[in-house]
Order: sequence, then structure tokens, then C-alpha cells
Amino acid sequence: MFQGESIESCLRSHPKEAAELEPLLRAALGFSWRASSLQPRPEFKARVRLRLEGARLYAKQQRQPEKPGFFARRRGWAFALTAALVILLTSTSTVAASSNALPDEPLYTVKLATEQAKLTFTFSDAGKAKLHTHLAENRALEIAAMAREGKIEQAAIITEKLAEHLEEANNAIQKVEITQSEASQFRTAPEETTATPEPETTEPEETTATPEPETTEPEETTAAPEPETTEPEEATATPEPKTTKNRKAEQLRQSLEESTSRSLAALENAREQAPERAKPALQRAIDTISEKSHKKPQQEPGTETEEGKDKHNGKHEDETQPTSTEPNKNQSSSQKIKNNPKK
Amino acid sequence: MSNEENIVRQAIDGNQLAFSQIYDEYFNKVYRYIYFRVNNQAEAEDLTQEVFIKALNAIGSYKQREAPFASWLFRIAHNQVIDHVRKQTKQKRAPLEEATAVSMEDPVAITEQKTEVEELTAALKKLPPAQQEVVSLRFIAGLHIAEVAKTLGKSEGTIKALQYNGTASLRKILVQKYNG
Repeated sequence: MFQGESIESCLRSHPKEAAELEPLLRAALGFSWRASSLQPRPEFKARVRLRLEGARLYAKQQRQPEKPGFFARRRGWAFALTAALVILLTSTSTVAASSNALPDEPLYTVKLATEQAKLTFTFSDAGKAKLHTHLAENRALEIAAMAREGKIEQAAIITEKLAEHLEEANNAIQKVEITQSEASQFRTAPEETTATPEPETTEPEETTATPEPETTEPEETTAAPEPETTEPEEATATPEPKTTKNRKAEQLRQSLEESTSRSLAALENAREQAPERAKPALQRAIDTISEKSHKKPQQEPGTETEEGKDKHNGKHEDETQPTSTEPNKNQSSSQKIKNNPKK
Repeated sequence: MSNEENIVRQAIDGNQLAFSQIYDEYFNKVYRYIYFRVNNQAEAEDLTQEVFIKALNAIGSYKQREAPFASWLFRIAHNQVIDHVRKQTKQKRAPLEEATAVSMEDPVAITEQKTEVEELTAALKKLPPAQQEVVSLRFIAGLHIAEVAKTLGKSEGTIKALQYNGTASLRKILVQKYNG
């Protein structure tokens, strides 16, 4: 019957049971008809299609460079080693030039290799969190640039990378939180009973855990633990242990929030300028950022997405203005992409 | 080899167009099935998306000889729903407010359809779980008896019996509702 056969012909096939069957068949057809009026929202359907397409292309891209051989088993290190070699063999000017490369440009692979090398040689969780935060923002700007040019496939692939960076940044921040709370328990446990909390003069796990190779590009390796140890006045100004305990993690989280706000602003801006067919790709990137950011407790990046609104009652803090007080090279390179989408 | 089997085979081989065809064929059905099971638009959307991501990731492991594709896909959907229901803490939801999903402009028509969907959902909820499952897969997702049987891992005879009883009960519930 559901293949187009009429009720009458069904009943004719079962004459003895016809009287009993008829109301049931009509009821069944009625349920089916009623249910079919329910359709998914077209924009949701389009978004999932885009996401699947992005995931498929990304998986395909991931599979391609993997060739059997000695390095296949140690892919991470092999890739880092290759990246290091690329950096060594490539002139510094090429590496520098690649930092602004867009996904459709030949130098983009150098850019990715450089990033991968940095990630591999960043050992501290805080460093990783910073680096992934920065890379996520870079990816967002690349998506915006690709979408403006109508390169949807590229945008979809980079969106998957963006999601990975955000996830990694969140994971690293969580690890910092755990490490710090463990360290503070360890520190305070024996003498904590009477003493007023000591201002955190040092953050041992941070300083020891990061023997970063900062020598090459100190400004890009925001992963390094530099700024935190040089804030004694802020540390002494906070008398409560609870705030100092996870200060580092909070800073990282705030930095991530600020970064995602900037990314969202860039993507929303691009959405206004992008051709119509590229808009779903941008929406998908915006949703990805919202989705990943919402995982964190106090985060509410000011998104206007339907998904965000649906799920979270849309409590928007408009933090779209970049509030960073310490401009760095990362930002300026990102800015270049933003200002000059069509390189 | 049927046309669908052929398309599925191509999708397994990484043909984008083939996967897209499968997507078009099943997306609404999977969404509808999940919606009627969880009765919440946001959750239905999340779960539908998950189903297709899982299907995309696992399509290489699908074996045509073991089950029809629809059964394999709806098995994923079924498991997603079960996991979701297990995890979900019992909380009040507002299905009607969120249950839009009707592609119509006329607000009266939208309201009527929302009501119909809501009535059917409410009636479905009154059935025993096994009947709910069979009725959803048969009449909402539009699967064949054999496909439902494979999806749920039951015999076709059992599915027929559950379908018969489910349809009769559902009809009774709805008739009672309309008669007063």
C-alpha cells in the first residue's frame, strides 16, 4: 500500500479479512499522511548536507597523504619532522610569506607545515591552548576569505579544521585547570589551615613544562609561557586563593572567548559580502564556533545563529570588539587576511 | 543488483553524488522517525545530524548481504534514539512550541498541521514501546516489513503482529479522542 497500491486493491487481495482490515488500512494511511506533513527545516537540511560534505572532503584529504612506509606508523612525528625539514630547507622569507597564505595558494601547505611543527614542539598545555586558539582564529579568517571568493569546498574543509582547533584548545584549557587545581592542592595541603592564601608568585607547572623552542619565531609561538610569570602585581592584588588558583586557565578561556568573538565577527561580516551560494558555508562555520564554544560553562559568544538561539535562549554578550591589549604578530597577520581577502 | 544497492555501492566507493542521493532519499524519513520518537525539534535535529555523520563514517563497513540499506541506516537512528533517551534526564519539554518544520506560509495551515502532528505523537506515546517502534518505522519512516524486522532484529511475523496491534490501538486512541 505504501508503494502506491490503493486500499481497495489491498482489500481485494484479502476478501475474507476486508471488513476488519479496511479501518486499519485507512488508519495506517492516515498516520502516514499526517506524519509526512512534518518536514525538517530546509536550512537545517542544507547545513547538515554541507557538514557531511565538509567531513567527507576532510576525511578524503586526510587519507591522501598517508602512504605506507616507515613514517606511516608514526604519522604525527613524521609530519612534524617533515614540517621541520620544510622549515629548515625553505628560506625564512618563504616561511614568513606563507603565514598569510590562503588555502588556495601554493604556500598554504608551508603554512600548515609550520603550524604543525609549532604544535608538535609546544609541550605545555597552556602553550597548546594559546596556539590552538590562535590557529582557530586564523582558520575562521581563511573561511571568510574563501567564502567571499565563493570557494565553498575549501571553506567546508577548513571548517572541519577550525572545529578541531577549538576542541583542542578547550581540551588543553581543561588540562591546565586540572593541573593547576592539583598543584594548588598539593601546595596548600600541609599548611593551608591557618595561613592566608599566598599570592601566586610562581606557577611551577607552567614554567617548567614549557621548554619551547622559542628561538625561531617568538611572537608566533604564543604558546610560550612568557606573560604569566611577569604579572606579580596582579597576583598580589588578588587575595583569594580560589581566584588565583585557576587564574591561568581563566585567562586562557577568556583569550579563547575573545578570539571566538573576533572570528564570529569576521565570519558574520563576510556573510554580508559573500555570494549567496557561499552563505550556508559561512553559517556552518559560525555554527561550529558557537557549538564548540557553548561547550564551555560561561561562554556565550554573541552569535545570532538559529541553532544557538534554539538551544541556549540567546543570551548574547556582544564582545565583537577585539579587546586585546597586547597586539601581536598573529593578530596583525590575521588582520591582513581580513583586510585583504582577495590576495 | 537493485538501483538502490547500486547507489549504495557507489557511495561506499566514495562517490559524492551517490551519497547525496542517499541523503535526499532518507534525510526526511530519518528526521521524521526521530522527531516522533523524541518529540523535540532541537533534539531531533541533533540526532538526525549524528545519524548521518555516523552513517558517513561507517558506510564502508556496511555489508549489503546482511541487511537492506534502510535497515542499516535506521538501526543507527534507532540506537541514537535509545542512547539519547537513556542519557536524557526526565525534564519537561515544549514540543508544540518547537515543532515547526512545516513548509507552509499559511499560519492556519501551520497550526492545523502542528496539531495533527502533536495528536499523533501523543497517541503514539500511549502505545507499548515495541508497538511504537514498529508503527514509527512502518508508517512514519515508510520502511517495509522486512526492513523493519532487520532494523529491530525481530522476525517478520513478530513485526506484523506488532504492526496490527499498534495500528488498532492507535486508531482506537484517535477515534476516542475525536468522539469526545
